[in-house]
Amino acid sequence: MLAHQSYNMLLVALSYVISVLGSFTALQLAVVIPLARTARERTAAVFAAGAAMGVGAIWAMHFIAMLACDMGMPVSYDPMLTALSAIIAFGACSLGLAIASSGAFSWPKLAAAGICMGLGVTGMHYLGMAAVMMGAYTSYDMNLVATSLIIAIVASIVALWLAFNLRGPLQMIGSALVMGIAVCGMHYTGMAAFKVDENGGQMPAGFSGGLRGENLGTSIFAVTLVLLVAVLLIHYKRQQRRATISI
Amino acid sequence: MIELEVKILSDRREGLLVELGRLVVASGFTLQRQRVYQDSHGAWLVMITRGSPEARLALEEQLATHNRVLSFEASLVEEGGATFAAAPPASTPRAPFPASSISTNHAAPDVRRVESMLPQMARDYPKIFPWLLAMEHEVAAEAREASLLLAGRRTGLWVFKRDYEIGGKLGLPDTIKRIALPAMRTLVTVDQRDRQLFIQNSPLCSPGGRSGCKFFSGYLEGMLGASMAPQTVFVRNLHCRSSGVGDCALEISH
Repeated sequence: MLAHQSYNMLLVALSYVISVLGSFTALQLAVVIPLARTARERTAAVFAAGAAMGVGAIWAMHFIAMLACDMGMPVSYDPMLTALSAIIAFGACSLGLAIASSGAFSWPKLAAAGICMGLGVTGMHYLGMAAVMMGAYTSYDMNLVATSLIIAIVASIVALWLAFNLRGPLQMIGSALVMGIAVCGMHYTGMAAFKVDENGGQMPAGFSGGLRGENLGTSIFAVTLVLLVAVLLIHYKRQQRRATISI
Repeated sequence: MIELEVKILSDRREGLLVELGRLVVASGFTLQRQRVYQDSHGAWLVMITRGSPEARLALEEQLATHNRVLSFEASLVEEGGATFAAAPPASTPRAPFPASSISTNHAAPDVRRVESMLPQMARDYPKIFPWLLAMEHEVAAEAREASLLLAGRRTGLWVFKRDYEIGGKLGLPDTIKRIALPAMRTLVTVDQRDRQLFIQNSPLCSPGGRSGCKFFSGYLEGMLGASMAPQTVFVRNLHCRSSGVGDCALEISH
């Protein structure tokens, strides 16, 4: 971490909480994909899980973490790249969860799904960082960039293994906690790789039209609210289903 | 070529013809005619199949051990095929088949008694042994094992759907480790060695008893059969505490 980056630790903790909440919602939606009776049901479940993971666990976490980070200068975000980063995360996570939930469990399938998810987390982060507009030159420590990618892939594989291979509380909670580590571990390693050099205070074109913290805060609040409602709905539906199963 | 008439009793009708029809075709037989009907004992499937005499034993073995099959009879069709054309047999659960035609036969369960007990077992689960012990004494001796097997299959399937269905599809070793073992441990003390489960002090298998681990065999078949579908899971009793050994051992295969 560079000297000019400082963090609000409360927001850092909140970023982990959001990533766990999003992962929990996504994995709870994903583990019922194998029970889908029609292709339409399966597609809907894959996209719902992908949205919860990509937009909830990864995108919302990323921008809370960015709000937590004080770079010592004003920052705004390119709206197009910011939106594209969410789409990348959604697409990669949907693909990863679709692979992980198809057919019988196997290690090659788990590895492929973990790589998709890891690339989704990493792709979102670095595209999100490309959206950063500030009066400075930016560059990366490529060793730490590679490390962040490995963290994302390995932790995603572990989280998917827990979610699809186990049953019970460890499946439910453990997988979300580990996926939260995947997302946050990747993000903060990626931030440690981020280098900022003075450019004499020259602001990039479009800086004033970029998204600011207050815009992002509203979006993150909306995403968090949707995740919480989704968790409650999943819990209610599960309880309802459990009660209707007759012996 | 021979024509074989197969009569099967199952606890439910849904998917019975599809599942067992597949098994017939996979055994090298062709399905000539079939009929499914329901009576107070359960769902009956009558099939006329055609195939080589050499494949008959394998087909009978597969049908007899299929987890949907509660009771099974196979006999050669004589000229005219009069048996199939006849009305559904007015059989009782305890003597469902005419003895003269039986080549492979398992006594039928007391379906009515099992059905009446299952909701109470579901309510009290996992404290189900008083119900099972009571049923063991209430049903006729020839229906005892089949009734315990049926109760086990239904309970196993129910527990699987309730507690273990959500998640990825696993291979047999992982299914035993992640599903069968924890589920069994809510009922009894169990150790696992590879694909064998060793039950300590089973309340249903007291020395000199009569259940022969049938409830647990059915429980595992119901649970693992649903988890591994469309593959069929077989549970074999290696030894039982009721015969004087220290524990009960069940072997699972597919």
